[in-house]
Amino acid sequence: MSRETWQEQLRRGSLDLAILLTVSTGPRYGLSIIQHLEAFTDLVVTEGTIYPILGRLTRDGLLEAQWVEGEAPHARKYYRLTRPGARRLAAMKGEWRAFAEKIDRLMTASERSAREAH
Amino acid sequence: MKLTEPGESRVNGYLFVLERSLKTFLPTDVARDAVREIESHLRERVLSADGAPNEREALEKILAELGPPLRVAQAYSAERTIEEAVTTGRLVPMLRAVGHLALTTVAGFFAALGLITGYLGSIAFVALAFLKPIFPNNVGLWVHDATSDAWSFKLGGAFPALPHQHVTGGYWVIPSSLFLGLGLFVLTHRAARGFLARWPKRPRPEL
Repeated sequence: MSRETWQEQLRRGSLDLAILLTVSTGPRYGLSIIQHLEAFTDLVVTEGTIYPILGRLTRDGLLEAQWVEGEAPHARKYYRLTRPGARRLAAMKGEWRAFAEKIDRLMTASERSAREAH
Repeated sequence: MKLTEPGESRVNGYLFVLERSLKTFLPTDVARDAVREIESHLRERVLSADGAPNEREALEKILAELGPPLRVAQAYSAERTIEEAVTTGRLVPMLRAVGHLALTTVAGFFAALGLITGYLGSIAFVALAFLKPIFPNNVGLWVHDATSDAWSFKLGGAFPALPHQHVTGGYWVIPSSLFLGLGLFVLTHRAARGFLARWPKRPRPEL
C-alpha cells in the first residue's frame, strides 16, 4: 500500500468523527464546519467533498439539517447533532482513544526493542 | 467581493455542470438541495474574499478549493452508492453497491457471494441456450448410455464429448435454458434490490 493510500484511508476514516466533534458544540453550517476543521486539522483536502459526508451523516440520523434564511444574503444549511449522533460520537471517541493508545504502546515497545538491539 | 457579470457566469457555469452531473444518479429534489448548499458555500466564500486586484484569480482560487464539479459529484456518488442502486435498479450501480458492501462488511460479503452466484448462474443458462445450436452434440442434458450401469444427468457443455454419455432432450434445452436463465436473473436482481433497500434499516447494535 502506498503512503498516499494509507494517509487517505486514515483521513477518510477519521472525517466522520471530526465532523461529529465539530457540530457537538452547537449547530454549524457547511462552511463553518469546514473552517473549523481547517483550523484544527488538515483533514479537508477538497472542500466540496465534505458536503456528501454531511448528507450521509444526516441520512443515517446522526445529524439534523435545517435551512436558515435571512441570517446572510444567502440561505445557510445548519447541521446539529441528534441524540443518536451524540451516542455514536461518545462511542467513537472511546474507540479512537483506545485504538490510539494501543498503537502508541506498540510504537513505544518497537522503539525500545530497536534501541536494545543496537 | 461583489462578482461582476463574467464572475457570475463562471459561478453559474460551475453550478450548472454540478447539477447536471448530480441529476444522473440522484433524485431531482436531492440534487437541487445539494446544488443549493454548494451555491451557499460559494456565495459565502465570495462575500468574504478580497477581489482586488484580480477578481478572476480570486474566484478561481475559491473554485479550486471547492474542487472541480465532477469531483464533487463523484464524492456524492460514492456516498450514495446504495441509494443510487435502489432508486435506478440499474445493473452497474447494483453491482457497484453490492461490491462496496462485500468489501466493507461481513454480512455484505456473504450476501454478495449469494447474489454473484445467482447472476453467474443466470449467465451460464443463457450461454447454454446460445451454444446449443452451434455445438448440438456437446451442449445439453447429459445422460449415461443404455449400456452403462451408472446413472446421472448433467446440464451443460463438454468439449470433447463425455465418454459413455450422450446428449438428450434435443433443442428443448434452448427455451428451457433461456427461461431458467432469465428467471434466475430477475429473481437475483430483485433479491439484490430488496437486500440493498433493507440495508440502511438493518438493526444495529445499541451504542
